[in-house]
Amino acid sequence: MATATVAGALGVVFARNPIASVLALLGCFFGLATIYLLAGFQFLAAAQILVYAGAIMVLFLFVIMLLNLGHAGGLPKLDRAIFVQRRSTLAIAIAAALLGAVAFGVGAMHEPAAVGAMPEHGLDAPASLAASLFGPYALPFEATSLLLLATAVAVLVLAKRTRTGGGGS
Amino acid sequence: MTIPSGHLLLLAAILFAIGVAGFLVRRNVIVVLMSIELMLNAANLSFIAGSRMHALATPNAAPDMQGPVFAIFVIVVAAVEAAVGLALVIAMYRHKRSVSLDGVHEMKG
Repeated sequence: MATATVAGALGVVFARNPIASVLALLGCFFGLATIYLLAGFQFLAAAQILVYAGAIMVLFLFVIMLLNLGHAGGLPKLDRAIFVQRRSTLAIAIAAALLGAVAFGVGAMHEPAAVGAMPEHGLDAPASLAASLFGPYALPFEATSLLLLATAVAVLVLAKRTRTGGGGS
Repeated sequence: MTIPSGHLLLLAAILFAIGVAGFLVRRNVIVVLMSIELMLNAANLSFIAGSRMHALATPNAAPDMQGPVFAIFVIVVAAVEAAVGLALVIAMYRHKRSVSLDGVHEMKG
């Protein structure tokens, strides 16, 4: 499952067609949802599929088709043409450094032994999740609703056609 | 149950590294946005790994929901970021007829 997820992630970066990128990312998200499920986070797996695979990916596909970017004639001929050449070395160095640091950390980590069995409803039972969302995290939760409202307004303003001439909106 | 949580952290690191590389090297702004989503997902996965390590080591304590709650907040922020980013892409496409980052240098000082 992890292999499928990483393959999807690589597909996002190396695909020439943006639609292929979206589909690869979709595969990556489904792989991640399966990993959440296997790790015992059932609610998060469902949320991952609903929000990411269901909503965000549709948004990406919608924009790509709206802007007509997936047409065959417009694809770059050379594989190299999709990359910014002068940044590639830097990017690979940064990615390798991050990966090496975390791999070193995980190798040096002493993972506490699992002493109990997995609870029946997983590690994120919706009841306890809701108890924390509306208990200690009530303020961030309300702030999130404000953020969503602000986003809706901002997207409307951004995506509106620019006015020609002086009329009001 | 049998997956060590350290492997989840390692997978998160791999995904994050791929996201960073994609963010830096791609020219297509939509693919750059997708790389950001990839990095946010890697962050989510490491929240999950930490929460799981804690929960499995202390099974009798009250369930600690910090990891999942923050993962949900990250998902919300990712959705918001995708919406605003794609609206910007549409505005940029109207302006320039292109989604390539090559010709974007208005913000250069």
